[in-house]
Amino acid sequence: MSDFFLSPVGLQHWLVVSTALFSIGIYGLLTRRNAVGILMAVELLLNSTSLNFVIFNKFATPSAVDGQIMSIFIIAVAAAEVVVGMAIFVTLFKHRKTVDVTSMNLLKN
Amino acid sequence: MDNFVSDILFYVFAAFSISLAMLVVTTRRILRAAVYLMCVLGASAAFFILLGAEFLAGVQILVYIGGIVVLLVFAVMLTRSVDLLEERPTLVRKAIGGLAALSFFGTTALILTSTTFPVLRGGPLPPNNTAALGKKLLDYGSEGFVLPFEIISLLLLTAVIGGIVIARKTSVEKGGN
Repeated sequence: MSDFFLSPVGLQHWLVVSTALFSIGIYGLLTRRNAVGILMAVELLLNSTSLNFVIFNKFATPSAVDGQIMSIFIIAVAAAEVVVGMAIFVTLFKHRKTVDVTSMNLLKN
Repeated sequence: MDNFVSDILFYVFAAFSISLAMLVVTTRRILRAAVYLMCVLGASAAFFILLGAEFLAGVQILVYIGGIVVLLVFAVMLTRSVDLLEERPTLVRKAIGGLAALSFFGTTALILTSTTFPVLRGGPLPPNNTAALGKKLLDYGSEGFVLPFEIISLLLLTAVIGGIVIARKTSVEKGGN
């Protein structure tokens, strides 16, 4: 473990940081009750994924930019996802006066 | 010397973004979570610069910080989540979430640190990052990405129309104009 911190920053260090961000996002996804908070956790997940693509682009195929292109696509998909998510939550709030996901059990039973 | 500076910057930004990401998922005030998320995404833009992807850092700031976070703040305001403190998650919920996150982190970090990844296509970084990206994105040869590019534009259009249709006033009578 100590030589992990002493060695110069390489692929593994970057990957551990992006994994940490991803697992924090998973924690938020599972513990948040406000739907907008869940959307923020999803943003964390998507952001760490696009970071991962750029990391592998830098260290595995440094002469090409394919990973960065994937990252651009992820950013575009994240934007689309937030637009639709926000529209759904605003409509949901208009109808039910809450965005608490634990009270959204209309399809239960 | 140059490597040393970038290593220090890496550790500083890593600590910054991980601690703020933890605040994003644990703070009880949702608007503060949005501000912390903005800082995390800014740190990610710094990561992109450290990784030599300047264009992506610009896109990150423009789209994520300028667009997505603002949209999230709008969502917070429109759903009146500002005035209410979120309830603390129950212990069971916390335990399940923490267990899932920690086990994912442990397994993945262990696998990643014990694997050596081969360099598939070595060589120097392309000198002009933005030009290389643009050429790749609009190249319709076997290595290009013009079809995903078009599909993404279609997806964005669909999302915009869908967002308007879902969130517009629903009191319009059926069959009425």
